[in-house]
Amino acid sequence: MRAVSLSLLLAAFTAWPAFAEPCKGAEAQLSQVSKALTVNALDIAENALRALSVSYPDCPEIVLHQARLAQAKGRISEAAGLYYRYTDTNPGDSRGLAYFGRFFLEQRDYMKADALSAAAVDKNPDDPAALVLRGQIYLMKGQSSAGQNLLEKAIKLDPDDPEAQFQLGTIYDKAKAAAQAVEHFRKAATLNPHDARAWDYLALNLEVVGDLDGTEQAYQKGLQVNQAGRYHDAFLDYNYGRFLAKRNDLSGSKRHLDRAVESAPQVRAVWFERAKLDMRLQNYQQARADAEKAHACTQQGGVIDLQIYSLLSQVYARLGDTALAKKYTDLTRETPPPVRGEQR
Amino acid sequence: MTPRMVSTVALIVALAALPKVLWGADTGRIQFENRQKGSGINFVLDNGTLPDKPMIDGIPGGVALLDYDNDGYLDIFFTNGASLPGLAKEGDKFSNRLYHNNHDGTFTDVTGRAGLRGEGYSVGAAAADYDNDGRTDLYVTGFNGNFLYHNNGDGTFTDVTAKAGVPGVSSAGKKLWGISAAWLDYDNDGKLDLFVANYLDWSFATSRVCGSPGKRLSCSPTLYKGEPNILYHNNGNGTFTDVSEDMGISRHVGKGMGVAIADYDDDGWMDIFVANDNDRNFLFKNRGGKTFDELGVESFVAYTESGLPVSSMGVDFRDWNNDGKPSLIITALGGETYPLFRNEGNGFFSYESYKAGIGLRSFKMSGWGAGIQDFDNDGYKDLFTANSHVNENADLDGQQHYRQANAVFRNLHDGTFQDMSDDAGPGMQIRAAHRGCAFGDLNHDGKIDVVVSAIGSPAELLYNTSTGGNHWILIKTVGVKSNRDGIGTRIKMTTASGLVQYNHVTTAGSYASSNDPRVHFGLGADTLIKEIELKWPSGIIQVLHNVRADQFLTVNEE
Repeated sequence: MRAVSLSLLLAAFTAWPAFAEPCKGAEAQLSQVSKALTVNALDIAENALRALSVSYPDCPEIVLHQARLAQAKGRISEAAGLYYRYTDTNPGDSRGLAYFGRFFLEQRDYMKADALSAAAVDKNPDDPAALVLRGQIYLMKGQSSAGQNLLEKAIKLDPDDPEAQFQLGTIYDKAKAAAQAVEHFRKAATLNPHDARAWDYLALNLEVVGDLDGTEQAYQKGLQVNQAGRYHDAFLDYNYGRFLAKRNDLSGSKRHLDRAVESAPQVRAVWFERAKLDMRLQNYQQARADAEKAHACTQQGGVIDLQIYSLLSQVYARLGDTALAKKYTDLTRETPPPVRGEQR
Repeated sequence: MTPRMVSTVALIVALAALPKVLWGADTGRIQFENRQKGSGINFVLDNGTLPDKPMIDGIPGGVALLDYDNDGYLDIFFTNGASLPGLAKEGDKFSNRLYHNNHDGTFTDVTGRAGLRGEGYSVGAAAADYDNDGRTDLYVTGFNGNFLYHNNGDGTFTDVTAKAGVPGVSSAGKKLWGISAAWLDYDNDGKLDLFVANYLDWSFATSRVCGSPGKRLSCSPTLYKGEPNILYHNNGNGTFTDVSEDMGISRHVGKGMGVAIADYDDDGWMDIFVANDNDRNFLFKNRGGKTFDELGVESFVAYTESGLPVSSMGVDFRDWNNDGKPSLIITALGGETYPLFRNEGNGFFSYESYKAGIGLRSFKMSGWGAGIQDFDNDGYKDLFTANSHVNENADLDGQQHYRQANAVFRNLHDGTFQDMSDDAGPGMQIRAAHRGCAFGDLNHDGKIDVVVSAIGSPAELLYNTSTGGNHWILIKTVGVKSNRDGIGTRIKMTTASGLVQYNHVTTAGSYASSNDPRVHFGLGADTLIKEIELKWPSGIIQVLHNVRADQFLTVNEE
């Protein structure tokens, strides 16, 4: 039923009428609500929406923001219902399509997110929300050039959109252009201090440019706001733990890597990193356990088999288990190193 | 002033005095001064680069410090590139150079008279007296030709490559791309053998082009196959035999760049470390001169602690923490950090770049030449790296720089190092495309100087002007039963204050370069050495007592 409704929605090309009388007088407050939702200031948004819904019971935009609020609070069914209600009645509103598309993206329903983001940009090629979502989806599809174009356009239209800044930052991060990445992640984190992902990426790139104090501060800020929700970063503890190990704060590193294996136990990289730390701490039994868990993980997280074999060969050599040490030494020798990019 | 303030001031005063009391060494500053101008050395390394930036153009630049005329002073030899794609030394600008040390800070170009202009695209240099005639000979590696130059003793050299049988070709007859070479007596028979580290199976016919037009970048070595290394056994009659296969060397194919030697397990047989570019490093353990086992993986030096290779370039293999166990530093490219492997003495090495404090500091550096040397003569060896990215267009990436300043890390005596580069004088602030570097005392002041080659800019003569007034000794070994240079001799030094240090005789190490064969020790405040123990390759152990500091000591094997 809902699928049919969505198809109809995507097929609709009638121009969306501007909010007219029902919202008249509420424009400024609605704008503030939207910004509050963007920066995850949910209590402010909720209170304002409650008051607005009394004063403007027929204003459709309130429904849209209620949907966003429900989404942010994890009330998925309620959010879906509100999005459908809004887009059914306002099929020409690019923002409605874009926010609904982001909802599907967060639910990992990529097909719908793709379709809605395309429809949103089609409706209004100058809507920053639509451009950001579409740009992000292009990036996910590996079309980084197209994604970058849309994100840059979105930022021109609305420099204060934290998601646009964040997504553009990821492009530079991927391209190893750390200085530019820092610029965008810093803006993203400043515009939305609740975005733990932005702090994490900012920290990673500050380390690359050599600003170690800034790195430390960014991690601290990220850790302060890293809560469940759309801005949660499952790898913040992992990355901070690695950073602390480089700075020889091994106990601090252990604390965060312990949390990392709790928050992302399915990912090889977190176990691998903790096993490396165990080795430095000369806790070889724990290193063995962690390295074997890393070995068993199917989600690599960027850690390849060669790294696991090399680590296990060292672990078992340290433990004096010559048979297993030899097994993994042989595997290390037999496994070719990765072929990196064409150029240095 | 409150009592609390008084005690704080007293504590600060006490702490300030602590290093001298504890270490018996003046912690003066490490300083280098580039005295190239006016020295008579006008060598500019020419890589013959082409717009497409072929692999070969990033690779050259060896330096050798050798006393070719036995006047007691180190002379300087530079390798040079060639025109591309012809690979010929067309014109003087591609000539290798030999500069004679005039003992007054100036040098004279004696290349022509010496007959060392060279042929083809040269890369590395290794100096030693291979025929035990008391004169230092020279081996030059290259892309399309390796050459052994015999020192005639009259200021000239003769190319004896063909006669000696050391052309650097594989058993199948293919000339391999030689980078670094090391002289060592692997079977302790009193004659120096020769190890050649070879790089890639690359040619202009198979050359790939990377980057975009006008912004070409050096391609990754992972696009090409590696090549086996070569070990030549010295037959003692002016000829050598290729024993690479019999000795277990050539079965291991890598992408060799730097090579260094040390008896890392103190069994009396010299071992060989090869730094492989984007491939696992090799540690060839010498099995009694009969064969070599490659134990890089087993010893944990094949890869970094992350289990991945880096762009290993230069390497040095010496004991930096005075525990008698030679350890490793390797240079790599930006974003990788320089691996520092500490020899635990149990067959394992531990990766300690971060623990030692050079990890985060070297993350942004790209390096070639490398040395573990005591620059401030405080009794603890420091680290030096000659820096530059491989890519001439590296600056297209905002985080990388082609021209970089060199780096020096001071040993803090507790297993850690401090990056002193910014404070080490203007000589250390020169941004250039540095490549090979060699270490030795050029001006007989007891401090280790550095000569650095750089693509497209004058070579640097970094005289060590470190302050502090610490004492020192340089030891020249003369083997009788052992090889005449005494290469491989392990020296244990105990100063009057009880500090014990170790080093060994070698000219190998760094990148494509050859160092002062004399063994240097900083002695801190000690003016007297209680004991010097020399363990010669022949097995002879020789002990000297109560040796005064601040001298050039020649020790004849007996």
